Amino acid sequence: MTILTAIIFVPILAAIAMVGIGTPAKKTALAAAAINLLFAFVAWAQFDPAVAGYQLAGSFPILSKPELAFSVGADGITIILLLLTTIVTLCAVWMSPADKDDNKLFHVSSLLISAGALGAFLSTDLFFFYAFHELALIPTFLMIGIWGSGDNKRVAWKITIYLGLGSLVLLAGLLALFITSGSSSFSFDSLQTASQSISPEIQKWVFLPLLLGFGTLVSLFPLHSWAAPAYASAPTPTAMLHAGVLKKFGLYGLIRVAVPMLPEGAQAWTNLACILLLGNILYVGLVTIASRRLDHMLGNSSVMHMGYLFLGVFSLNTIGLNGAVLLMFAHGLSIALLFGLASKLRESTGTLEFGRLGGLGKSAPVLAFTFALGAFASIGLPGFTNFASEVLVFFGGFKDYVDLPIASKSLGALQITTILAVLGVLISAIYMLRAYRAVFQGDKPVPEEGDPEITAADLTFSQRIPVTILIAALIITGCLPFLLLRLLDSTTQLLAITP
Amino acid sequence: MLSVPWIILLLPLASAVIITLVTHRNASLSALISVASAATTLALTIWLLAQDTVATSSFEWIKVGDSFTISLGLIVDKLSQGMMFIVTAVGTAVHVFSLGYMKTDEGKSRYFAGLSLFMFSMTGIVLADNFVMMFIFWELVGVSSYILIGHWFEKNSAAEAAKKAFIVNRIGDFGFMVGILLVWGLTGSVYFEDIEAALPGGIGKHILTTATLCIFAGAVGKSAQIPLHVWLPDAMEGPTPVSALIHAATMVAAGVYMLARTFFLIEFSNAGIFIAWIGAITCLLAALMAIQQDDIKRVLAYSTLSQLGYMVLAVGVHNPEAGMFHLYTHAFFKSLLFLSSGAVIYACHHEQNIWKMGGLRKKLPITTFAFLCGTLALTACPLTSGFWSKEHILHAALDKHGSVALFSIGLAVAFLTAFYMGRLFTVAFFGKPRDHASEDAKEVPPVMWIPICILSVFALFGAYKMFWGPLKILHPAPPAHSHPFILYASIAAFLLGIGSSYLIYRHKNKDPLHIPLFANRFYIDNFYDLLVRFGTNGLAYVAKSIDQILIDGLAVRGSAKITSSAGSMLRRLQVGNLQGYAFLFGFGIIVVIYLTLFSRS
Amino acid sequence: MITLNHYLMVSGALFTIGFAGVLLRRNVIVIFMCLELMLSAASVALVAFSRFNLTPEGLPNYHGQVLVFFIITVAAAEVAVGLAIIVAVFRARQTTDVQQLTSMKG
Repeated sequence: MTILTAIIFVPILAAIAMVGIGTPAKKTALAAAAINLLFAFVAWAQFDPAVAGYQLAGSFPILSKPELAFSVGADGITIILLLLTTIVTLCAVWMSPADKDDNKLFHVSSLLISAGALGAFLSTDLFFFYAFHELALIPTFLMIGIWGSGDNKRVAWKITIYLGLGSLVLLAGLLALFITSGSSSFSFDSLQTASQSISPEIQKWVFLPLLLGFGTLVSLFPLHSWAAPAYASAPTPTAMLHAGVLKKFGLYGLIRVAVPMLPEGAQAWTNLACILLLGNILYVGLVTIASRRLDHMLGNSSVMHMGYLFLGVFSLNTIGLNGAVLLMFAHGLSIALLFGLASKLRESTGTLEFGRLGGLGKSAPVLAFTFALGAFASIGLPGFTNFASEVLVFFGGFKDYVDLPIASKSLGALQITTILAVLGVLISAIYMLRAYRAVFQGDKPVPEEGDPEITAADLTFSQRIPVTILIAALIITGCLPFLLLRLLDSTTQLLAITP
Repeated sequence: MLSVPWIILLLPLASAVIITLVTHRNASLSALISVASAATTLALTIWLLAQDTVATSSFEWIKVGDSFTISLGLIVDKLSQGMMFIVTAVGTAVHVFSLGYMKTDEGKSRYFAGLSLFMFSMTGIVLADNFVMMFIFWELVGVSSYILIGHWFEKNSAAEAAKKAFIVNRIGDFGFMVGILLVWGLTGSVYFEDIEAALPGGIGKHILTTATLCIFAGAVGKSAQIPLHVWLPDAMEGPTPVSALIHAATMVAAGVYMLARTFFLIEFSNAGIFIAWIGAITCLLAALMAIQQDDIKRVLAYSTLSQLGYMVLAVGVHNPEAGMFHLYTHAFFKSLLFLSSGAVIYACHHEQNIWKMGGLRKKLPITTFAFLCGTLALTACPLTSGFWSKEHILHAALDKHGSVALFSIGLAVAFLTAFYMGRLFTVAFFGKPRDHASEDAKEVPPVMWIPICILSVFALFGAYKMFWGPLKILHPAPPAHSHPFILYASIAAFLLGIGSSYLIYRHKNKDPLHIPLFANRFYIDNFYDLLVRFGTNGLAYVAKSIDQILIDGLAVRGSAKITSSAGSMLRRLQVGNLQGYAFLFGFGIIVVIYLTLFSRS
Repeated sequence: MITLNHYLMVSGALFTIGFAGVLLRRNVIVIFMCLELMLSAASVALVAFSRFNLTPEGLPNYHGQVLVFFIITVAAAEVAVGLAIIVAVFRARQTTDVQQLTSMKG
């Protein structure tokens, strides 16, 4: 049993303890999250970035033919996602609404989402990789359906069917990959080796369901319309955990499974991916500008930023891939921060409609300040990890162009896409600053006849701690991105198609 | 081991962080920390000026594999040394002035944290040795500017102005980023030194021109050139010292500095002529707009636009030295003008309309004198600093990369500058008080007038070698073919402008000239408002509708509808009658039997 | 001479009567009895097959007869369960008319 197995099972054990022994809900969840964060740091310290391949690995065989094992392992990408998941879990549990402090089912669900995400990221076996993600989705649906706000029942159904179908397509793709590769084992390593023999034509058709399946889970345009209502309606920790962590599963799958195992397939669909990701950045960006509620705006913005991640992945080189992984980390933290703060705001104001809010910076200065930091991080301001990773993604998009000989330099599809994607930094500035202006700056709107006056409560001391953790993580890794990037070098070299 | 340039860079950051995290409740202590850090950087910069070369270390900020590295490193050369002096000197003056101006402000700590953050970011731009690092600090000055313009964020106009400034700047930054990517794509490097070395290697001229123009777009945003000039006048919503430091002397000049720093790109491409014309057009239009403004700060803001146009024009005609020299003189006289207008506003209880002032000459003697110094320098009164730097630009405009058209625009703007400043000075300082605000105006405290007086000295005499020599300010070489005509023409423009404005505006209580086109800024702002309302917002609304109707409605809910209607059709078969089922069952059996027994043929 | 066909005709007639009863009668108990009739038809056929399909040694094929015993025992059990269900349904609905037991209607 390695530390990675322990990390997966700590939340599950905590959930069992909560239900079985009856330990206090929130405290147990917090303790489990804190222990996991500590474990994640230990794993980070033990990890040797110079070594390629999985480290800290452990395996528990289950079937021999086909070979199936509960096996875990970590490489650079996993360590970064592990840090992301444990940080966000701690903050998400901490920022759960106070009236749910004793609600066991609520905290069990949060912990299960975390455990599922950890399992999916840490598994080095295709079966468990998929199964753990499904495990995490179920409590997500439940939490939205039971404790969500607004039209939560309908939204819960919508996301269940949407993501269920996406997972189904994904499953078909994964099965196709497993069958066509002829591998005798579900482990990533042997699949990677076996998949080399798949012919380009078959790769192309196996890659498509993977792209669509993973794409649905990451809200790739035009499969994105579940995201904004789901996040708007989800309770605080669910929105933080799903948008921050669980959604990254699809990208992780593309990086870990689809692209390296089906390189020709990936290249065949790069142009399609470019168009779709521009749909995310430009089209959904415009939708975000038109949002009239803070939670919808944040949900759409998170969809929009997925475009950058896809750009990083589909640049297919190490620079872009490093950028994508770093951006997963950055986006996870910043969107969790923003969702957490928005929920806190809703708890005291009762609404997130722009038209009914305004000038709250006066009554809630700390909330306004931290939200500003989150917004700045989200629009990719230097000093936050988001900037470093977006720069890497953009440079990744231009890598081919640099490598062309000087006489025959011409802009390819990827470069055009990158240039258009840079336009996203403008779009995101527009919607974020407009939202900030509408909520925290300017006059307070006069409430309509009969409506109570809207005031915002500032963050309490206890709420400031998780917020500080998230901001500190963003700033530290933003100013010193090499702290994380050095973990990635030997990993992404294996996974990228071009250096 | 931190070298002095690194300390100059990081000290203001430390100040900003300490104020935000520790001393934000104690406003006076915060102010003290911020002022101390500014003064220390000034002292260190003066030390730095005495050095010829300073060894600085750089550190790897991003590293991917062995092939791709972006480091943060500092350049200390004549260009950055001179610019550093401008930034820290004006910065310190503004910090000290703010002690008086913001004395009773509620958000004093936030204000000084913002100033320190700005000093950090601006220093970063000046010392950056590569494009990415410059872009980093380029964005950070944008944020500090956002924070400071929106200092009084509960005021709608300030909040709007801050947002507008940031977003308009981001349009430029979009171009800048694309330019950086293109240059990297062409030369394989983001370091200024390497790019300069790689340029002669046969890179296509067209694509290089495109890249240069993209980078220039960044300068257009930051230096508020047409068509991205609209944010700067609105930025006057910020506290006046901020306008002096950021929106007159330093940040808006960063675009020009960047062009000077990357001048090799303009040299090797064909972008110069385009840049020169953008500068010239901005120069002219902004001067025309300035003629009809009534807000003292807005007049100065349009004047800043116009002067920045001069600088860009100079860089465009391949004479960055002239641009930088004007940047230097302009930084001092314009920050002087802003600070003294700040003093006027402070004395007049935050009245900014010049038609409500008047007769301030007697109430505020020191401020009036300082404002006069600034006005003389800005209007290029012979022998003041502004005169010399403008001379150089006019010469450059006629030089081999310039043209008579560019020169004529420059000359016309010289006249217009004298005219609108003469108008401002006549209306605000001569005559009789028109409002009680200006009637009980009192001279400002020393903490405010001392920095103004020091700046006055620079404004008047900054163009003489005893000043710019030791400060290592880039100084243009004397023109090869001196045209005495230029000298006479510009003196004539000055006299004509001042004289005509004095004659027109003497003893007037309201504006005798009424030119709606200029007063409404050529309707450019209105046009942009329409563009945003019907363009961006319209597009966004359309996208949202498509999202709701087509994707979510038709595709998602549509497929759900199909599924459920298929279900309700199939439901009819579910009759609920036992015998019905039994009949179907039997019927099915018969069909199966028939198929197995009789359909073998 | 009574041949296999005669037995099969009887069996077929029984089956048809039973099936018609299932389809046409309304009372659950009658339907149930008709079901039993159909089972008996099958048993008759099986026994007849067993008697007329002799093994090479001239013995009857006992497979069919064994199956009949099974049917008889299973039918007995089934009657018990079935009647219990009918009693339960009657208690719940106060009727044994299948036309009125339509809660499965979609």
